[in-house]
Amino acid sequence: MESAKRKSMPTEALRPNKQHRENGSAFSIEQVACVHDVSYPEGYVITKKPDSSDTKPAKEFPFALDPFQSEAIKCLNNGDSVMVSAHTSAGKTVVALYAVAMSLRNMQRVIYTSPIKALSNQKFREFKEEFSDVGLMTGDVTIDPNASCLVMTTEIWRSMQYKGSEITREVAWIIFDEVHYMRDRERGVVWEESIVMAPKNSRFVFLSATVPNAKEFADWVAKVHQQPCHIVYTDYRPTPLQHYIFPAGGDGLYLTVDEKGKFREESFQKALNALVPKGEGEKKRENGKWQKDLIVGKLGEETDIFKLVKMIIQRQYDPVILFSFSKRECEFLAMQMAKMDLNNDDEKVNIETIFWSAMDMLSDDDKKLPQVSNMLPLLKRGIGVHHSGLLPILKEVIEILFQEGLIKCLFATETFSIGLNMPAKTVVFTNVRKFDGDKFRWISSGEYIQMSGRAGRRGIDERGVCILMVDEKLEPSTAKMMLKGNADSLNSAFHLTYNMLLNQLRSEDGDPENLLRNSFYQFQTDRAIPDLEKQAKALEEERDSMIIEEEDSLKNYYELIKQYKSLKKDIRDIVFSPKYCLPYLQSGRLVCVQCTGTDDNSPSFLIEEPIAWGVVVNFDRVKPAGEDDAGKKPADANYTVDVLMRCLVSREGIAKKKIAIVPLKEPGEPLVVSVPISQIVNLSSARLYMSKDLLPLEVRENTLKQVSEFLSRKPTGLPLDPEGDMKIQSSSYKKAVRRIEALEHLFEKHEIAKSTLIEQRLRVLHTKYELTAKVKSIKKAMRSSTVLAFKDELKARKRVLRRLGYITSDDVVELKGKVACEISSADELTLTELMFNGVLKDIKVEEMVSLLSCFVWQEKLQDAAKPREELDLLFTQLQDAARMVGKLQLECKVKIDVENFVSSFRPDIMEAVYAWAKGSKFYEIMEITQVFEGSLIRAIRRLEEVLQQLIQAAKSIGETELEAKFEEAVSKIKRDIVFAASLYL
Amino acid sequence: MEETRGIQLSLNQTQKIRLRKAINHLQSLYSKINSNASVTVADTIPVNFEDSILKGHGTSERDGEVVATLCGVVERVNKLIYVRALRARYKPEIGDIVVGRVVEVAQKCWKLEINFSQDAVLMLSSMNLPDGIQRRRTAIDELNMRRFFEENDLICAEVRNFQHDGSLQLQARSQKYGKLERGQLLRVPPYLVKRQKQHFRHLEHFGVDLILGCNGFIWVGEHVEARDTIAEDRVDNTEQQNSKSNRSAHDMPIEMRRNICQIANAIRVLSNLGFSINLEVILEAINLSIKLNLGIDEMLGSEFHVLVAEREVERRSSLTKK
Repeated sequence: MESAKRKSMPTEALRPNKQHRENGSAFSIEQVACVHDVSYPEGYVITKKPDSSDTKPAKEFPFALDPFQSEAIKCLNNGDSVMVSAHTSAGKTVVALYAVAMSLRNMQRVIYTSPIKALSNQKFREFKEEFSDVGLMTGDVTIDPNASCLVMTTEIWRSMQYKGSEITREVAWIIFDEVHYMRDRERGVVWEESIVMAPKNSRFVFLSATVPNAKEFADWVAKVHQQPCHIVYTDYRPTPLQHYIFPAGGDGLYLTVDEKGKFREESFQKALNALVPKGEGEKKRENGKWQKDLIVGKLGEETDIFKLVKMIIQRQYDPVILFSFSKRECEFLAMQMAKMDLNNDDEKVNIETIFWSAMDMLSDDDKKLPQVSNMLPLLKRGIGVHHSGLLPILKEVIEILFQEGLIKCLFATETFSIGLNMPAKTVVFTNVRKFDGDKFRWISSGEYIQMSGRAGRRGIDERGVCILMVDEKLEPSTAKMMLKGNADSLNSAFHLTYNMLLNQLRSEDGDPENLLRNSFYQFQTDRAIPDLEKQAKALEEERDSMIIEEEDSLKNYYELIKQYKSLKKDIRDIVFSPKYCLPYLQSGRLVCVQCTGTDDNSPSFLIEEPIAWGVVVNFDRVKPAGEDDAGKKPADANYTVDVLMRCLVSREGIAKKKIAIVPLKEPGEPLVVSVPISQIVNLSSARLYMSKDLLPLEVRENTLKQVSEFLSRKPTGLPLDPEGDMKIQSSSYKKAVRRIEALEHLFEKHEIAKSTLIEQRLRVLHTKYELTAKVKSIKKAMRSSTVLAFKDELKARKRVLRRLGYITSDDVVELKGKVACEISSADELTLTELMFNGVLKDIKVEEMVSLLSCFVWQEKLQDAAKPREELDLLFTQLQDAARMVGKLQLECKVKIDVENFVSSFRPDIMEAVYAWAKGSKFYEIMEITQVFEGSLIRAIRRLEEVLQQLIQAAKSIGETELEAKFEEAVSKIKRDIVFAASLYL
Repeated sequence: MEETRGIQLSLNQTQKIRLRKAINHLQSLYSKINSNASVTVADTIPVNFEDSILKGHGTSERDGEVVATLCGVVERVNKLIYVRALRARYKPEIGDIVVGRVVEVAQKCWKLEINFSQDAVLMLSSMNLPDGIQRRRTAIDELNMRRFFEENDLICAEVRNFQHDGSLQLQARSQKYGKLERGQLLRVPPYLVKRQKQHFRHLEHFGVDLILGCNGFIWVGEHVEARDTIAEDRVDNTEQQNSKSNRSAHDMPIEMRRNICQIANAIRVLSNLGFSINLEVILEAINLSIKLNLGIDEMLGSEFHVLVAEREVERRSSLTKK
């Protein structure tokens, strides 16, 4: 073990007193402020409720409540819904606990929903210890479904509402934990459905991470349910955070944001300067491979991550959670800790006991799984790994060990940042970028807030530490955005699904349009309308207030200039196309270039544009990115010309310089700049003798002096004649030239051109035009949001259902529709079609299970082996069905990429699942595929869910053989480690 | 007699001929659709065994052949084959709206006769409490069950699901389900009520609620405002309800009674003729009776039956022409 001596922090001495935050709170600024607000539905009459403060609270806590907690509890006591928005560590659970206690006291049912099964399990345990009358319903397990307090996943709650379970008539309080999950692209819609359909007269408790638009959400709930909804918002952290940067290759931490939220610029710069340039790593990334320095670290040398962990342990900043963004990376980093041992012998014994007592429920074969046996040595040294690829049971053991303080250093993925209170003293981000499906982007401030929420243990640490490992230069503004930015706002991710439509159509009261109208999505678009209107009006007013004299003739002139410019550009494009001008771009040629003004965003309205002369040094081809341009003709490629000319250099920050080309006579430095060919205005027939070495400043000055001398003799600069010298015969060139001559003639006649201040006036006119265009686009946006969102899609999707015979033309759900109603864990249309086509009937149970695995497996494997022939044949049948469904959707104008849709069914785990259904041991099937153990287990569990739904479906069409077959399939796959019970139960 | 479908009417000769003509016409309109798909018990259903098939309700396999176990019409959905029985008892499906009569108040539930092979069960917990409060049901609620519904009360509910033991569970999703008062119940063969988007209909013109139960029980009664209003006027609502139930049927205005009877008779006529019953057809029949200025009692006469049949021929042929 490393010697553990506290070293003082490099820069900041800590402040013991708790921080005060001023939030303009509506009331009590005691210790920590929170904002309390209420949304009332329209036309709601506020009645004074009887003061409930003297009645006994339903639950008393052994500690003093924070103001936001007591505020929220006050609302609960008054029987009002409340939305609590606070950081993960702030203690929102207290509110949930109180709501449960209160409901139980009042003999009411209460439901707690969370987005993740594991979280539900943990909450179940927590509630069960506190209150006895608690049940659990997830897809995997059902315990005591008749209890007064039910913990479930949101999906289960949604389907209960569709089925009209009696619980919906008895539930008084519904607690939605982590409600910010609503912005999840795939699953978020489930929250909206659940909230919209929730029984009338029930009350809600929403617990969410900090979201800036909590008020908007509450307004929506108030509107949909016609009841007041309170908002209690706080961004208080019980333990303040310090943010450090650890530059790659460096060896120290740099305090970037202190616990008062101050950004320390100079320290940030120091950190970046300490960053060791990577060279090698840079190239690798360009090749598309994301390899990091800290991984590549040379043999024998300590890697960055090792150095960092060592430092953390030395400074007693442990326990520490190190977040990375992929499972593989997580494991890889943990492997680099091989030399480190953070636990003493007592702790090792403890870990071993806990570990084996948990593994006891596994069969002997499963205990020998490599993942299990490899994990223990690591854990014993106080190092853990936590990601979704682990066996669920291992994941839970690690969570328990971490909570017990036996794991000092945990490598985790983002999933660890949600859910149960598992704080550490320190949180490390091993990467500043995250892959989001198509590119590596910066971590968003919302993600940063969520993950850094794990830092700082309440009551133990005086402050939490966040360390950001940086391996590339980043702008202070980017860092500020990431470290100090706002939480992501809660936006609707509503979308339609067929299952939703069918369920809505099936019930007498249900109406998909009603659901759409009440959705948060619609609410948000509706809400934007007054804003848009205001904007449009303001812009219109601004436009109308611009009064321009002689507007008509000015307009005329404006149009002429526009034409003239576009013609000029045409000519330039012809003359200075590489084909014609390349031969003249020798070094020493005088060239006339458009000035890049300092304020280039407003176009100029002079006929004569500002130009500057310079000397050509060289020209260069620009390689189009990623293309092999060997076969391209030189004429087609893009070129830049290096020109020596006078430039104005303004410095902004350190990294960026802004260079503006200025005319010769103006002050500036003589510099060589590269200019795209399109910027060339003229080429002179004259050439200068150029010195070969342009590095010394005097040489450049002298050259430019020569240019000025030449120009003072020949003010026109003796341009090349396009037709004579450059031999341009193109007819379009001639035409353009003639038209320009005509236009020039018109200009002379135009009276207004002679008026003073013509440029300013044109500028005003231009802004006016721009305003008009803006107003137009805003009005367009308004038009599209006044109609019901998704209306067209709804129509298209109903068309699909009709064409497939799921509903009749009067929207009555038919037999097939009833089957699809039951299927919510897989693609309902494809699976229903497959079933009605008899595919599932003919094949063996194992084959059927294997085929169904394609519906639940979503990860993409790069080099998965093709399944054997029989299975592949089945998979082809599945693809045919999917393609049919996909094409039909396209025909019905549902926006869908058919091939994408077809390839969303993955055959990767068919073999493994086939073997599992045949009765193989888990270690045997793990040898068949390369997937993570945890992922496979999750897929098989989901498969069981689908089978349960299919049993219901088969029952409703009266096909008893199929029903029996599904039952058999369930019994075949539901065994051993895959369905091992959670340790939390 | 096939043509008249066993209608017990005293028709004179011309009426007979007119009715037969109308019904033949109607049959000819649909003859193409209803080809020889009808089977009786033990009839072999022709299938192509090369394709795999799924055998649904009303079918069985015997000696390598698919045979019908019901009299009815063979329906095919992709590879699924099932027999839809005509003129059978009601066969419930999840989501159906039914009207039923309480036959027993049992432990925590009511048993309802809904024209199914067994009584349906409406759990105490499957209905909303009249005051709209969301809470667990207590022993006191159980004792007070007769306050909600007692034997012979009529109740409207939705089919929720089949339990594992095969019993049928009902539910009352919202306040618009529940006890039916001040009106009359009609029983028609269940196959005449097709599943529709809406089974609750409010005929504003007559001030009458019409509930077309999928089980062939049709309710025609005085319109009741959906009690599902917001929580604030909960208090007044319960008072209203109390006073309403106290009010006996005697103080129903005669006009309302006439309306109810008129609609009920129109349905009776349609049911006698064996026409499927939906709002459109009912309104058509009522309008016809108003146009002819017929008394309510005259609506059940043979002449009106024939007229309705002829009117239906007109309507359907105009539909098919379109």
